Order: sequence, then structure tokens, then C-alpha cells
Amino acid sequence: MAATALSLSVMPAQALSPRSEVGVTSTAIKLGITLPLKGSASFGYNQLPAAMKAYFDYVNANGGVNGRKISLVVKDDGYLPKQAIQNTQDLIAKDKVMAVIGALGTANNKAVASAVNLGRRGIPSLFVNTGFSGFADKKAFPTSTTILPSYIMEAKMIGKYVKDTFPGKKACLLYQDDDFGDDALVGFDKSHGNLDFAVKIAYPSLSQGVAGVPDSWVSKFKAGGCEVQIVFGVATATLYTVLAAAKAQYAPKWVLGSVGADIASINPAAAPYIIGATSMSFLPSVVDPKDEYIAQFKEINTKYNAGAKFNSWALIGMNTAFITVQALKAAGKNPTRKSLLAAFDKGASFPSAGLVPLNYSKTSNVGYNGYWFGTFNRSGDLVPNDTFTYTPYTTDSGTGDVVKSTYKRAAMPAKGLPN
Amino acid sequence: MRTTSFKSRAFALVSTTALLATLVVAAPANAAATDPVCNGATPVQTCTGKTSDGALYEMRVPATFDGTMTIWSHGFGTNTNIPAGLLPIFPLGNPIDPRPQIAPAGDTALIKYLTDKGVAVIGSGFSTQAWNLDEAVKTNVELIGIFKAKFPTTKKVVAWGYSMGGGITQALAEQHPELLSAAGVMNPVDSWNAQSKYLVDMLWLMKTWFDPSIKLTGYAAGVAGDMQMIQDLGKYLLILQSLQAGVATGAWPTTSSASGKALQAAGIPSRSALLMIGRLSGISSTSSSFDGVTGPAGAAATAWPLAYAPALGTLENIAGVLGYALLGARDMQTKMGGISFDNSKTDYAKQLSDEDRTVYNAGLSGNTAIAGMLQTLNPLNPDAPRIKGEAAAVAKSASTMYQNTGKIKVPTVMMIGQHDPVEPAGIVQRISDLYEEDFAAEKDAAKKAAQKSGAYKAPARKLQVLWATTPKAWSKFNADGTPISITGTPGTGHTNFSTAHYKTFIDTMLSAATNGVLPWNGAQLSKVYKAKNLVIDRDTLYPWMKYYTN
Repeated sequence: MAATALSLSVMPAQALSPRSEVGVTSTAIKLGITLPLKGSASFGYNQLPAAMKAYFDYVNANGGVNGRKISLVVKDDGYLPKQAIQNTQDLIAKDKVMAVIGALGTANNKAVASAVNLGRRGIPSLFVNTGFSGFADKKAFPTSTTILPSYIMEAKMIGKYVKDTFPGKKACLLYQDDDFGDDALVGFDKSHGNLDFAVKIAYPSLSQGVAGVPDSWVSKFKAGGCEVQIVFGVATATLYTVLAAAKAQYAPKWVLGSVGADIASINPAAAPYIIGATSMSFLPSVVDPKDEYIAQFKEINTKYNAGAKFNSWALIGMNTAFITVQALKAAGKNPTRKSLLAAFDKGASFPSAGLVPLNYSKTSNVGYNGYWFGTFNRSGDLVPNDTFTYTPYTTDSGTGDVVKSTYKRAAMPAKGLPN
Repeated sequence: MRTTSFKSRAFALVSTTALLATLVVAAPANAAATDPVCNGATPVQTCTGKTSDGALYEMRVPATFDGTMTIWSHGFGTNTNIPAGLLPIFPLGNPIDPRPQIAPAGDTALIKYLTDKGVAVIGSGFSTQAWNLDEAVKTNVELIGIFKAKFPTTKKVVAWGYSMGGGITQALAEQHPELLSAAGVMNPVDSWNAQSKYLVDMLWLMKTWFDPSIKLTGYAAGVAGDMQMIQDLGKYLLILQSLQAGVATGAWPTTSSASGKALQAAGIPSRSALLMIGRLSGISSTSSSFDGVTGPAGAAATAWPLAYAPALGTLENIAGVLGYALLGARDMQTKMGGISFDNSKTDYAKQLSDEDRTVYNAGLSGNTAIAGMLQTLNPLNPDAPRIKGEAAAVAKSASTMYQNTGKIKVPTVMMIGQHDPVEPAGIVQRISDLYEEDFAAEKDAAKKAAQKSGAYKAPARKLQVLWATTPKAWSKFNADGTPISITGTPGTGHTNFSTAHYKTFIDTMLSAATNGVLPWNGAQLSKVYKAKNLVIDRDTLYPWMKYYTN
């Protein structure tokens, strides 16, 4: 099938200038994001735009990107694919953004890729906020880049962690019965993470909220003698499972996948049972007292994010914005959509807060590729240990080994402003 | 948009006994060509007559006739007389209607809009109804000749039509571009192969899971066969009624097959099976009442549009296409002398796109449920017997049915609703995509020619698509969270165009006929914008009919 952009003959005259790029003027660069700001899937994610804006505002106050100030148009999709399609169409056609950044969700990004056709239109969709491994397909998603390690990588690393940390213990798995869970199953299978489960339960998305359903899961896990409980689901699945476990006095070692490990949304006060659970991150702990990125982002957050708490969401949002600014700079003095994508193709090794590397190159649109493991403390923050010493692991979405990362993170640029 | 209580729109049951007593046998057409007889009225005279195949025709010719004539092709008409008051989907009946039609639904305002411009407006009732593409093209060719003979100052002929008539218009433009200055194609039928797959897949899947006693194929000849078909229609309506009642609980119709009951026992709600039928056949999940983005206020605001709205939208759209589907399937079996549809080798699992598997995953109840549902459609499942086409009918279909190529040979404007349940937007998407390839080749050829001549002459784009779009959100709910039925939502339903849409469409095709090229200027964009819920957009993509992708 072939489809092209609207013919020049029907485009407004101002769009014809070869020197201009949609969303870029001599003084401004406009970006857009669609994600849930309200509704049951919005918790935490709805804090990302403010954090991103805070960092952009900080950059703008310090001269912008080559004199251009960055703005971010934010749209609420309620985590609904049809709304994400509409929002993306509006961002492109009405708001005229240069690029979409940080769009959330596997289903939403797939729906948008298919219906809005970003790839063929050359419109960048940077840092899609999902670990579904399919987005690493550069042919299928030629203008997208990922930022999260894939769910396959994640499962492989959990497999190694569980085998190393709890040898001989009975492991059990709760996973979401869709692309997300499919990736997990690949990551745990014989040729990848090679972790066996005594009990394995797939839950259809949304079923976690049905009364009695999480109790039935816990009943099966308990009956199966599970000692290590892995939850590879969304935060509400973790919450309801933990609550059901408390009720049933089911007390395994909890290992929570990255998506469902938003301990702040679970609220340890309501579910103290979860304190001490294991999870993972590719960014430093937000309570790390010695990390220079954390210190700088925290300072910016205090000044530009209306006093919002500096938490994992603020860190993720600022780090994404920080990389965005570097990509825009790498796109040249007069950035275009094409040069912005080319900046990733060139394999620019953008400094970031990540403790594992970004992997962008001409053949890879993949962001981070590793995690460190830690436990949740009483305030719901993930920490590696008392000394904040990290042991990051890295791997790929194939059959490569999980190995300790040797990555040396670049220093934070002066004042947190990329050169 | 008009709103009524959803609960009050329950589907009525069909009285088959009453139907049997009132069925009327269609009389075959048997007519000779006649010259137009005109009444000489002013400012617009009316001429009538019959083509050689017996089609009644009508011409409205203004005294100010400027040499431009439009020839209208009407939509799908039944070959089975269904009296009023018996079938809820045809409350006013659906009789065989040979009367000539010259504009959408005989809209007098649109006819006047044309004649006021000095345009003659003509059309016929066609000699046969239902799938009549081949016959109708011949009738139209003859009718154009009759008109030109009567009005020799004719300079421009514009063919237009919707639904079946859209397909007829496209076929006429493909086969006889020399006769036309422009074409106006609204929500056209696809080729018979693609269209029958779309409709029969949906009917077969419903039968297979929800009521295996449905006949669907092998209807008897004549009135007995009509009766069988109408009995089937009643069963389908009962299924829809049952599915609607079971949306919240997940209950399956009591008439479900063993496979259906096994799926129910596995905990798969009937709404997921209904949604699966929609995704496999390609019916939109967005409908007049269900936008897929709005949920009742409160805790279900996110879950409702994901889990319930797609199934209810599919149900509402199936209700909108069901009558056409069954009448069409029956008609083709009669015309082909047997079953020309064959799904004996269809891999239904492949018809679920990767995108649908992800986007509708919650509504389909997850990957395990998806796999379970698809497993029951395995050709080896004796509880899901496939339809085997009859060789003679398949051969006759292949040799006699014209398959639209989608080639654009004359300046053509198309218009279609984003979520038309009868003719999905993907029909026009395919034509548009194919044309883009042709146009790109045309531009390349022009560039090569310019290398020799030194002067580049840009080719003119010969296809403009006007997409009738929905509002951003429209679903509404009662205080108790139950959905409210809404009719007439722009961009949904079949041939659901506003007067402003029609006038924009007419102006576009007349402009193309007059100037030889389609209008692409700011005035055209402004006109389209002002028509509301109408856009020229080649960036949003709609999936092609499953026939082409599987």
C-alpha cells in the first residue's frame, strides 16, 4: 500500500518554504505528548508532563536550544487507543508539533502507528513509553525510538536474579495475558531466562479489578507452595494481588516487574505487606544522596515543578526531557524531523541519568538495555542497598546472556545543560 | 443527532408465519426500449421511458440546460418483497422497487440544487435489483446514449451513485471512461469477492458460535427460499437481542453451538466473541452510539470503553448491515444457481490483525481467550462446518461478475463515512492507495518526459476523497451508567451524509467535469471545512477489506 502526505497543492502557502519545518520556528520548537492524565491508568504517568515541562522551562530560561524555546503540548488519552489516535492526529495536524515524545502504552502506540502512519510520514515518535519488544523493529516503526528496556530483557534479568538470589525456591508467575505478558514468557523461556514456574497464571487486562479474581490467583499460588512470587503486570494487578495475599496470609518473596512496581501508587501505608519487595530500575534511586543527576534534577524540580515531590516519575520525566534536548541539539542548528531522527541514527551517545547505556544507532532504535535490582523501603522508594551501590545488569532481547554492565555513565553536564 | 433510550431499542422478534402469508413473488422485467416522453414543463421538464432491458428511467431537464448531465445509480434494492411491519429492520417494508431514481433517496432539494445550476438530472430504477452491477452498467451506458440523442447539446456527463450505485458508478468509469467527464462515488460496494467475504464471514461466524440451526446457504428456489432466508434473518435478530442482553453478564445465547458453549464454560464472555466476529470480518467497532473513548463517570471510565464499547459498537453495526448481508447472500445464491462463496480454506486466525490483537486485547479477554476462540474456528472442528462453494456457481461467479479494479480513469470524487458498517472505509482506502501508486508512476513518467522535452508538465491528481468524520466523542450515559442510544452520528451508519456533504460533493464533481481537473485550491478546502465533519485527508489509514489482506 502506498500513502503520501497531503499534496503540496492543498497545503497552505506557508508550509511550502523549504527552510521551515513543522513545529520549528526561529524562536521555538513545539513537541507533543499523549498519555493518561485522568482515569484508573493515569496514576504516576500523569506526573510525567509536568516534570518534562519543568526541565524544558529550565533549559528555556538558560537560552533554549540554539535560541529556540521548547514547548510541550500535552493531551489526555485516558489510556484508550482510539483517543490516542485522535490526540496524535490533533498534535500533528492542529498543534503542528515537530515530534511526539513519550507516548504511553503498547496498544496506543500500535494503534497510532497503524492509523496515523507516523513512519511513512516521517514524523518522529521518540521514547515510546512501553517495553514491548516489537517497537525495536525499525522497519515497522522507522520513526520511533524506545527508551525502556524491553520486557523480554526484563524477564531475562528477573530470571537470573531469582535463580541467583533464591536458589532452589519455588517461583511462581502472574502475568498480563497480552503483548506485555507474551514478552515476559519469551524472556523466561528455556532459551532466554530459563526460569521454571511452579504456578503460572495469565490474567486478562482489567480482570484484576473484578471482585474475587485476585483471591482466586492467590489461592492457587498458595496451594502451589510458591516461595518467590513474580508479578509481571500493571500496578493495579500488584495492588490487588498483594491485598489478597495479605488476606490469605500468603507471604512469598515478592519480585515486581518494572511496570507494576509503582510502590507509591500501591501506597505502603495501605499495603505494608509490600515493604521489602524486590524490583528494578535503570535510573538511580531518587533518594540517592550522592548521585549528581539526582541532585541536579531535584534542584530543577524544586524551582520549576511547582513544588511537586521529587519521585521516580519526576526523575523519569526530567531524564526524558534531558535526552530530548540533546537530540534536538544533535539535529543541527536548524533541526528538522529528518535531522532529529538522523541524530539517533548516528548513534549519539547522549549522556543521561541511566546506569546502563542507550543503544541508538543506524540499525537500532532501542534505548536502555539493563536494570539494577533493589528493594522498597518504608517510604516506598526503591533502593539498591544502604550504601547506594548499584550492580546493573545488561542484556538484549535475543538469547544473549545477562551480564553485569561495564557501562561508565557520562558526567552530568555543567548545571544540567547539555553542551 | 437524535437520542433515544437504549433499552427501548430492543430488537423485535420476527413473525415468520405472517411473513409466509404475505410474501410476494417478484415479476421478471420484460420491457422494450422507448424514447423519452417529455412533459415540456418549465422551468424543468420531466422525461420518462424504458431502456431495452426494461429499466424505467426519468430525466429532469431544466430550460437552462447548459450541456451537463448527471446520471444517478441507486443503492442496493431487494429482490424479495418484505412487507411493512414484519421485520424490525425494515419497519416500512422493503418491496422490490423498479421506480427510477435520479438523486440520493430522491432528495428534491438536491435535484433542485442541480437543475438550478442548469444541470440535467437523470437515472433509472434498473432492470434487476440487489447485486446488479453488470446489468446496471449496461443500462447506464444505454441511458446516456438515449439522453444524448434526445438532447444533442450535451457536453458533459457526470456519473454518480452511492452504495451499490457507488460500485456501479466506479465500474462504469472503469469500463467506459470515454463516456464520462467526471465520476462521483459514495461509499461504494467493493468487488463482489471482497464484499461477499465481508458479509458472509460475519454471517457464518455468528451462525457457527451462536446458532448452528441457521441455514445461510442452500436456500430453496422461489418463495420457499425467501421464507428460509427470512427465518434466518429472524434468528440473527434473536442472536443480537440475546447478545445485547448478555453484554454485562457475558451470557451466551441459549442457541449457541457446542463450540460456543465450550467457550462460555471457559469463562469467555459472549461480548468477546461478538467483538472477535467484528474484528475477523472487518466491521468497525465504532458506531452511532459508541465512540470507544467515553465511559460512564466513575470507576468504569477507562474499563468501559475498553471492555464493553467495542462489543456494543460491533453489535450496533452488525444490526445495521444484517439485512443487506442476508438479502445479498440469498440473492447471489439465486443468481449464481448455487453457493459461490467458499470459506473451506480460510484461515480465520490470520484475519485477526496484530494491531487488533493488541488494541482490543482487553475486550477480547486476553490472549488465552483469543487462542481459544480461534481454535474453535479451525477447519478440522466438526462443530464449525465450513461453506464449500458449488463448482458451477463458483465458475459462473468468476466468469460473469465484474470485479472493480479500483483504477481511476476519469476525475473522481469519493465520499465515505469513517465507520460505515455496510461499506467499510477500507474500500475507499484501497482505491486511494492504489491510485497513489499510479499517480506516483505518472509523476515519474512526467519527469522522464521532461528530461527529453525540457518542460515538466505535472500530472493532475484524478482522485479526491472526502471522508465523513465523527465528532471527537459522543457516547452518553444515564445516571445509572447505562448507555443511551444515539442515531445519526456523523461518520457512522450507511449513507449518512448531511445536505452540506452532498452539496460539497456535487460541487466537486461538477467542477471536475467543467474544468477537467478536480479542485484542490483554498476555496475547496474551505468548502469542505464548512460542510462540517468532512475532511480531505490522505494521512489517516483504514484497513483494507479482509479479502485483500488474507
